[in-house]
Amino acid sequence: MVIDTLKCVGCSDCVVACQTENDVPIGYCRDWITETVNGEYPNVELELKSERCNHCENAPCVRCCPTGASHKIEGGIVLVTYNDCIGCGACIESCPYDARFQHPDGYIDKCTFCHHRLEKGQQPACVDVCPTKCMYFGDLDNPYSVVSKLLKTRNYKLLAPEAGTKPHVYYLI
Amino acid sequence: MQEELFVSGRDLPNIDPYLSVWHWPISVDLFFGGLAAGLLFFAALFYLLGKEKEMPAAVKLGPIVAPIGITIALICLFYDLTHKLYFWKLYLTFRIESPMSFGSWVLLFITPISFLWVFSYLREIFPSINFNNRLLISIESFAINKRRIMAILLIPLSISLGIYTGILLSAFNARPLWNNAILGPLFLTSGLTTASAIVVYLAKTTIELKLFNKILLGLLITQLFLMTHMILGYFAGSEVQLEALKLITGGEFTFLFFGVVIILGLIVPSIFIVFKIYNYKIPLIIPVLLILLGGLAFRFVMVDAGQLTRYLY
Repeated sequence: MVIDTLKCVGCSDCVVACQTENDVPIGYCRDWITETVNGEYPNVELELKSERCNHCENAPCVRCCPTGASHKIEGGIVLVTYNDCIGCGACIESCPYDARFQHPDGYIDKCTFCHHRLEKGQQPACVDVCPTKCMYFGDLDNPYSVVSKLLKTRNYKLLAPEAGTKPHVYYLI
Repeated sequence: MQEELFVSGRDLPNIDPYLSVWHWPISVDLFFGGLAAGLLFFAALFYLLGKEKEMPAAVKLGPIVAPIGITIALICLFYDLTHKLYFWKLYLTFRIESPMSFGSWVLLFITPISFLWVFSYLREIFPSINFNNRLLISIESFAINKRRIMAILLIPLSISLGIYTGILLSAFNARPLWNNAILGPLFLTSGLTTASAIVVYLAKTTIELKLFNKILLGLLITQLFLMTHMILGYFAGSEVQLEALKLITGGEFTFLFFGVVIILGLIVPSIFIVFKIYNYKIPLIIPVLLILLGGLAFRFVMVDAGQLTRYLY
């Protein structure tokens, strides 16, 4: 996933779309908006961005899961099989992005990139609903996909790359 | 200057405003897991060295605490799971990369062995106990015959259990306070220390008391040495680890770490034990309780403070 921080206005539509699409319990969320202010007045810079599970290539949550409930499927999406999850919380502790949470039903939940929609050829709900079209979803292995082209032509950053997780959500800057 | 706020409101229970997924039962679990590991290690070691009669507290009496400790640890672990009915899924797979999977398999094997070990000595310790049940008698004779095999198994299993309690935390590089490779040996040493304290308290023979006083002192000094290395490791670490270190050097865990863990739990008992080694009369219960308190406090500091630390981005 590629998110253009220059286009994001922080409207939270992606958050609401996700909650509706995935029936996320009230008071919880799988994605969220952060507002970062850098510098000191009058030289300040504002950055808005939509954050979620980074579906890391080197996913610590998958590695530390004692039952294999957290797993990676073909294409690199990290999912949780709810009926294999014991709710130990190890994956929450292992995530440098704090992207996971304990669902009120006990299992651990997080962003799935709307895997159920992808299977139908649709885009994730957050991408579909974004009014400024700042979010892009696609196949990074395909050099002709929109996301690959954007990463070739624009400057981008990753969240906490020093954690060594090789995150797969890229922020255009 | 950088300031970040959640525009949409993240409001994830147990994560915001700070992570608190592992609560007090995890600290208690790690404490009793380490204590049981230490007791079983000494029991197996001195049995294999043929010191069963000279070291009754280490081989026979001390291990009584081990199955009780493991049971408490397991209850605490189970209590802290949020999807409890699926806990059996732990035993459908073995994942070498997951310390929790590794630890749960170690616990599966060490728990029955710890019960059998104690059972094999039960009538020796409490002669008034009389088994009227054939099944119990046959289990007892089986356990007595298999003591050597159990001891051989207990050495690697107890070391694994003791070291697992630290590796469980150090494997999470997302929590800078935990991401320190010394935690494995440190937790193992701490478990052995608390176990020696119990053995010292229960010691029946002078030889045993003298030997375990020396072992205990050695372990307390080793632990101080490892703690120093742990702190030096943070000092030499990246920004996130320096931030994490602030929690125990001036932050909200300073008193608990330096006051309770280091001074009351390690330095003061060391002084008491030195006096004891030089035959001064001191009430042993004081250093023993202080060591147990320090061991427990150490787990609380590491589990609670570790969850407050995170990557900055």
